[in-house]
Amino acid sequence: MNIKVVSRILEANDRLAEDNRKIFRDSNVYVINLMSAPGAGKTTLLERTVSGLSGKKKIGVIEGDIATDSDAQRIAALGVPVVQINTGGACHLDANMIREALSGLPLKDMELLFIENVGNLVCPAEFDIGENEKVMILSVTEGDDKPLKYPLMFERASALVINKIDLLPFVDASVQKIREDSLRLNPGMRIFEASAKTGSGLQPWFEWLNQKGK
Amino acid sequence: MHEASIAESLIELAEKHLREGNHSAVSSVTVRIGRLSGVMPDALLFAFEALKGGTPLEGATLLIDVIPQGGMCKGCEKEFSFDGPYISECPLCGGAEFSVTRGRELEMTEMEVA
Repeated sequence: MNIKVVSRILEANDRLAEDNRKIFRDSNVYVINLMSAPGAGKTTLLERTVSGLSGKKKIGVIEGDIATDSDAQRIAALGVPVVQINTGGACHLDANMIREALSGLPLKDMELLFIENVGNLVCPAEFDIGENEKVMILSVTEGDDKPLKYPLMFERASALVINKIDLLPFVDASVQKIREDSLRLNPGMRIFEASAKTGSGLQPWFEWLNQKGK
Repeated sequence: MHEASIAESLIELAEKHLREGNHSAVSSVTVRIGRLSGVMPDALLFAFEALKGGTPLEGATLLIDVIPQGGMCKGCEKEFSFDGPYISECPLCGGAEFSVTRGRELEMTEMEVA
């Protein structure tokens, strides 16, 4: 017997993501799902962002990595609440992992929650975790061909931080090409050019974040 | 690599439908995977075969309908197909206003059950 069962394969994840979204909304917490390849500078950008928004936004962080809590230690050193998720091999965070991590965070005392996803340009794009926005980082050392090679994440992110611009003299990447290809995939994308290491170019990013949840 | 998580979700989803319909065995599960979904059919098949053991889907075959990219143009009001990850204009009339209507599918469509 043939039965029709049309349903999204990830419906269980999507349902949990909606639950998370309701929890965040009820606590007035705006959530950013931060995604990039490994080594693009997610944690360094977060360190800068915590300092840059100090006194303006109450921030919390969930760190996702396959193993180790070294990222969480870096964030904890700045005095903001942080929970480390170790996926134990999984290449992305899913809604259930976030749900479990929430018990370790004082949501009532937070306004902006960053969820640093596992470093990976493919898989995290597919999984809704209950965020308000997906934001991605592409560092110029990765090459300017990445938007067209990994289109899904560029399509789904509402903003892109082009990072490590201090290294532009040493690499062949064209920021112009990254911009053009990203906007071709996602015409509404907000694009920042910055160096999380030196801090240059970050002011517009801070201002953009400061408007979130208002 | 996320195909393993997707196969796991698919097996759980199929189990739920089996329970709800009081079916005992399933011989095949059919899914629709769009070419723009970021999921590789071969990797999904491999993960499904590896994960189905010990579940009610142990004897089931996974059938994958790969859905090609397609869109609908607001200018010429025609449907079109395209290759590759993106297009910047309607391939029929060159218009810039169109929507991608096919290729992002990631859904289960039917099961053959006893």
